[in-house]
Amino acid sequence: MDLTGAFGARSAAVGACREPPGLESLHLGGGDGGFTALLELPPTQAVELLHFTDPSPSSSQAAVAGVGLDVSPPPPPLHAYGALTFPSNAALMERAARFSVMANEQQNGNVSGETTTTSSVPSNSDRVKTEPGETDSSQRLENNRCGIGKRKELDKKVKGSTKKKSKSSEENEKLPYVHVRARRGQATDSHSLAERARREKINARMKLLQELVPGCDKIQGTALVLDEIINHVQSLQRQVEMLSMRLAAVNPRVDFNLDTLLASENGSLMDGSFNGTAMQLAWPHQVTETEQSFHHRQLQLQQPPQPQQWPYDGLIQPAWGREDDQGHGNEHNSLMAVSENLMVGSASLHPNQVKMEL
Amino acid sequence: MQPTSSMKEEFLKKWQMGLQIYRPLIDNTSVSERRKAIKLSADVAMASLRKGTTCWSRALIQKTATEDNFLVRQMLSGIKAETLINKKLPKVMCHRKIVRRSKMILRRRQSRSAIEEVAAKARKLIKKKTQGLRNVVPGGEFMSNDVLLIQETLDYIVSLQTQVNVMRSIVDAAEAGSER
Repeated sequence: MDLTGAFGARSAAVGACREPPGLESLHLGGGDGGFTALLELPPTQAVELLHFTDPSPSSSQAAVAGVGLDVSPPPPPLHAYGALTFPSNAALMERAARFSVMANEQQNGNVSGETTTTSSVPSNSDRVKTEPGETDSSQRLENNRCGIGKRKELDKKVKGSTKKKSKSSEENEKLPYVHVRARRGQATDSHSLAERARREKINARMKLLQELVPGCDKIQGTALVLDEIINHVQSLQRQVEMLSMRLAAVNPRVDFNLDTLLASENGSLMDGSFNGTAMQLAWPHQVTETEQSFHHRQLQLQQPPQPQQWPYDGLIQPAWGREDDQGHGNEHNSLMAVSENLMVGSASLHPNQVKMEL
Repeated sequence: MQPTSSMKEEFLKKWQMGLQIYRPLIDNTSVSERRKAIKLSADVAMASLRKGTTCWSRALIQKTATEDNFLVRQMLSGIKAETLINKKLPKVMCHRKIVRRSKMILRRRQSRSAIEEVAAKARKLIKKKTQGLRNVVPGGEFMSNDVLLIQETLDYIVSLQTQVNVMRSIVDAAEAGSER
């Protein structure tokens, strides 16, 4: 497995990844502000990779899988790609759920940007001899137009003799090919290129994982990062067990509540902002008949409102009450309110965030 | 990558659907049965969000299908259920010990410089860790390469976080409501 080698290079690369040596034109997104944007971009494509099996166009650290030595691409495509990546950067909201959509966007965007400018470049990549390992990745990349062109900087300084040197690389262009530049002192045979490509892929994804798992950023070294990841996954799994235990221990009526609430839900939920829903603070003491008797029980059990003490209760009950009041006419709003409570999931709902119903 | 609210919403809906299947049982069963029902339906809901695109989701669905086939069939819309439940898991598990022993035999004559030994130890350590990761992630045994493993882990972590967030908010609401 190549993780060792990959991470030998990584730690050194972290420091270097922010400066674009050599090819400044590769620096996308206009400077340092773009770096974090580039970092945020990867998860979209990273999840895309589940579909496309392409190397992710992740952070600027990711280097390029090689098709052999290549010339620097002409500047115009870079600007085009810079512009193209911005829309995807801006759409960071729904990454996990929308990666397929993003893939389409990027494909469309990339095609329009690429066809004009990179027609000449693929010929270069086609010409170069490729090994089977490389062929797979480069073919796939060319076939999927969302292929990522990763580039490694040509480092003119003597960096030492080992292959496991830092790769300061630029990133995030979407090119239909992949090419690397061999670094000085590195072997250029196809096997090592393939290995390097693989290592870069693994590095890129490990970087994403590090960002995802809290507290992994500071850790150097693959083994410890993997440890953290394993611990995190295990803790999440244990939390699920605990929560299901707690939920089972609670009175089973609760299941019915949620069931009916969501059974009648027909609208889409908003994104956690309370602006659109005005929730009623005053308790609806009158309870209209509903099909579910438990609604009655729930409402009659209410004490006078204490929103400060019971933010959840205070916010959920009025929503239920409102649902009762208005029959199921405004179930949309009430369900949005309830679901927003649930979706936002924060116990720190302040009373002043709740507006009085008009 | 953080869980989005649309993901949470979908998860919640599917989870509710699963719980409804269990509804006739809920009143009369013990806590442990309920817990199992909750957990199973939550797991299947989480896995079904990915609609079979990821390896872990398929493995998770197959795992829960061994425990409660009916639930899985109901929860996934009938079309996918059959294919997901019945298809064989993709690869045979490679017996790592056997592979390792054969490699050691082949490797008997290698030179042992200091650097190489250190590198070899580092590699072994990392192999152990990735094996640990494979144990944790559902279906990890069947992921042949590390790249895939890490991708799957990414996706799995995001889904787990979604699941935990939604479940926690529901549990908090339920407990707050029932404390009266």
